[in-house]
Amino acid sequence: MATSIRFVLAALLALVTCVLAVAQGSAERGRAQFAQTCGFCHGVDANGGAEGPNLMRSALVRHDENGNLISAVIREGRPAKGMPAIPLNGSQIADVVAFLHKRLEESDRRSPRKPDYALKLLLTGDAEAGKTFFFGAGGCSKCHSPTGDLAGIAKKYAPPDLQAHFLCPSGVAKTAIVTTSSGERFSGNLFYADAFRIAIKDAAGWYHSWPRSEVKAEIHDPLETHQELLSKYTEADMHNTFAYLETLK
Amino acid sequence: MKSFALVVAIAAELCAQGLDPAALLKPPTDTWPTYNGDYSGRRYSPLTQINKTNVRTLTLAWAFQTRSSTLKTTPLEVNGVLYFTAPDHVWAIDARSGHAIWHYNRPSEGDHIGQRGVAMYKDRLYFGTPDAHLICLNARNGKLIWDVVIADVKFGYYLSVAPLVVKDSVIVGTSGDQADIPHFLEAINPENGKIIWRWNSVPKPGEPGSETWPDAESMAHGGGPTWITGTYDPSLNLIYWGTGNPHPVLAGIGRRGANLYTCSIVALNADTGKLAWYFQPSPHDTHDWDAVETPVLIDAEFRGKPRKMLAQASRNGYYFLLDRVTGEHLVTAPFVPTDFASGLDAKGQPIPDKKKEPQLDGSLVAVAPGGATNWMSPSFDPQTKLFYVNAQRGFTLYYLDLNAKQQVEGHQGGAASPLWSESLLVAFDFATGKIRWSRTEDEGRARPGILTTAGGVLFTADAAGNLLALDAENGSVLWHKYPGGYLDSSPMTYELDGRQFVLTAVGDVLYAWALP
Repeated sequence: MATSIRFVLAALLALVTCVLAVAQGSAERGRAQFAQTCGFCHGVDANGGAEGPNLMRSALVRHDENGNLISAVIREGRPAKGMPAIPLNGSQIADVVAFLHKRLEESDRRSPRKPDYALKLLLTGDAEAGKTFFFGAGGCSKCHSPTGDLAGIAKKYAPPDLQAHFLCPSGVAKTAIVTTSSGERFSGNLFYADAFRIAIKDAAGWYHSWPRSEVKAEIHDPLETHQELLSKYTEADMHNTFAYLETLK
Repeated sequence: MKSFALVVAIAAELCAQGLDPAALLKPPTDTWPTYNGDYSGRRYSPLTQINKTNVRTLTLAWAFQTRSSTLKTTPLEVNGVLYFTAPDHVWAIDARSGHAIWHYNRPSEGDHIGQRGVAMYKDRLYFGTPDAHLICLNARNGKLIWDVVIADVKFGYYLSVAPLVVKDSVIVGTSGDQADIPHFLEAINPENGKIIWRWNSVPKPGEPGSETWPDAESMAHGGGPTWITGTYDPSLNLIYWGTGNPHPVLAGIGRRGANLYTCSIVALNADTGKLAWYFQPSPHDTHDWDAVETPVLIDAEFRGKPRKMLAQASRNGYYFLLDRVTGEHLVTAPFVPTDFASGLDAKGQPIPDKKKEPQLDGSLVAVAPGGATNWMSPSFDPQTKLFYVNAQRGFTLYYLDLNAKQQVEGHQGGAASPLWSESLLVAFDFATGKIRWSRTEDEGRARPGILTTAGGVLFTADAAGNLLALDAENGSVLWHKYPGGYLDSSPMTYELDGRQFVLTAVGDVLYAWALP
């Protein structure tokens, strides 16, 4: 039974992958087709060109479902607007339709994407000046070493991740020492803290919590210095330090 | 005479359980008939039963489970009935007990990120949908009366705003920020859904404001969504509304200039939609700093003279106080630390620092990733004369996103890496912007709105989810309760049969609090 379910699941997965691949392939073929037959007027990205409008702003394109609206326009053209009929066959039209829908997805963005830039765009700082900042005014060398914890850091992170990560690292737990009213002391990683409650996990992994008003709590944030630095960096400090860290391959 | 009496009798019957729009002209005392409670947008209630001396005994009166999505709505309370929403859903429930009266559900395509509430006119409710339709419902039973298309969902338009009834019109604004679309405000006839007037956030070539764009193409990107309910001054017959960001969102290189009327506060004639004046909190915005936050109307003395004013704590981190008759600027003051402006212009508007615009190699800006505040409603308490806002401070890296041809890529035109941020509740003197007290929450983002009352109590929640009743004078905690989720909406209050209720929507549950 389990084997047959696994088989069905595997077959379904293969089918979905296959359908996606076909759609992807169609959109890619459509990209080339569009550039060749439509790009001069509408631009190769369909963002508008020499004569034709930006198709990302076309109600017809946006209301199209599987070519039900776009196909006729390609086949028959829009003579009144100066667009000729385009002699494409059925599968070529399907590819262009797939490409236009793909372009809508690429173009429409609700929120800023994560940066995935090439290093050359980001690398505008002076690595030597960054090194001076690292060992001097920045105070970085008080906690970090280019041959110790930071050795190979530029290999570990993609450039934009390294830029964000050195400015504001994450994943290092805060610790807390909690002293109860009877004088008992607990220490461990801070699990939770708000205005009214505090909780830790001790070295053995056990959870403890208290009303904040009934205990004394000392919280230590190992990343506090990074937060303080955020308001001190000049743009040059930031770019220089990044350039220096990028040398630590 | 007889027929007049009959008309009066019919009108009285019609509004027996409904809402006469004339009633909105007088600030309500024990009800909550509009999104902000009244036209001023100050979210201050004159109720005093729950007050500083007894709020510590506040207890749960009832709860209503919607089994839907996160509630971002402020319920209306009219004649003992609460009306509130989630995307695709409207509920009417008993304001005394929390029992359901009816539920309207209309599944739709489109953005379901939030729904802030309904507006009421006589015996009808008005509700915006994720596919950008405006729906008119019978308030008695939730039955559909009409359904009109406000904008095309295929372009990413949706309606999250709670409409505003002004005289015999329903004002509705548009949401949507994923494609090149122009935004607008419309006044709709409450009887039949027909457009009375329309005001466009972005001008067409040759129209006033077009001189702040380089060309027709840059204007064609649109922008200026109108997704938070505005305010209204009946004596001036002006509607005040905030507008959102220009497009492309983070890339300003193709749209040099102030880009009016995006990121602006506008005053419009309620009968015609004609622009009376504007003020632009974020000229040439490149950080998605919508100036849609509630334009709060304040009548008070300013530098020794009584004045009609308008206040906004804007998403860019600045507080603005204006004369709402003329739009004259009175005060600009930051309510959190921010560094995107190189100074203020003659009108008191921040001058954007070019270095702090998104850059190809990244630009470090002192602002929390979502801005200094957002949709969470602020409050103004005329007793303390303090303006309260839930804010964030922090840092974000902004990038410019160009393609191989050095052209702006996509609708955003940029990328962002959120760095560190923390939430804080800030209370400042409305007349100076000077901070009286603030309450640091914690890292992360608090999204609750604020309610103040004549009982001296400020209701809100913190970044951890704790519901809070604070002393509005000094911010000290009078009551708190952890409700098992976050307050993503604004508290409201009303009194029925001599009992004051405070409502908080946490997750998808509506909680009513009262004295024992």
